[in-house]
Amino acid sequence: MIKVLFFAGLREQLGCDALDVDAADIASIAQLRTRLAGKDAAWQSALASEQLQVAVNQRLATMHADVKDGDEVAFFPPVTGG
Amino acid sequence: MAAIISVSVQAEGFDPGEEYRSLRSENFADGATAMFVGNVRDFSPIEPVGSPVENSKGNSVAVLELEHYPGMAESALTDIARQAAQRWPLGRVRVIHRFGQLRAGEEIVFVGTSSAHRQAALDACAFIMDFLKSRAPFWKKEIGQGAESGHWVQARHSDEDALKKW
Repeated sequence: MIKVLFFAGLREQLGCDALDVDAADIASIAQLRTRLAGKDAAWQSALASEQLQVAVNQRLATMHADVKDGDEVAFFPPVTGG
Repeated sequence: MAAIISVSVQAEGFDPGEEYRSLRSENFADGATAMFVGNVRDFSPIEPVGSPVENSKGNSVAVLELEHYPGMAESALTDIARQAAQRWPLGRVRVIHRFGQLRAGEEIVFVGTSSAHRQAALDACAFIMDFLKSRAPFWKKEIGQGAESGHWVQARHSDEDALKKW
């Protein structure tokens, strides 16, 4: 399983803060994103944002990053702390 | 000698004076201490026309809600502090970032650096703030007076641009 987390505006848009995704057939963030976007129109629209950022195992990553069973992946809008 | 780095991500407030005393306590090697404190503003900035944040124009901010990614927030701040300590000869680095509901005037963030000389302390302090703003997983939501839901603060291109000078 891949543990997927969502934060801030994206979490609200999806109405979901976390879910587990079967890791079979998923080797990259891009593939994971496509799988999630396939859930329905709302997910497709929310995950289509070019601004979306991603972290793998709590480190910032790119959409090309590899992902494997047991990883924690988080999607979120650009950060606005400070 | 390696810098002493201390990072806290917390809901509770902090006392900048206490943090200063801690940076200085038994610290005779460093002649310079630089500090930055960020506070909640009582008004949102006026956004340019066409900005996605049209409803923030001049609205009074009653509460700022800060969401964070537990675990990654701490590690991202520690990573940024370590990068600063590799780049400048720092004695001590202290970073605090709060989360939860904050009111206008309250402290949100603290960055303190000490070094033998002022330029290293000042530059490292600015470097940490610049990277914190664009790389640490925190998100601000402004909830105006009487508003039930509020809106998420949009990231600024100028924050990303600020990294280029480093």
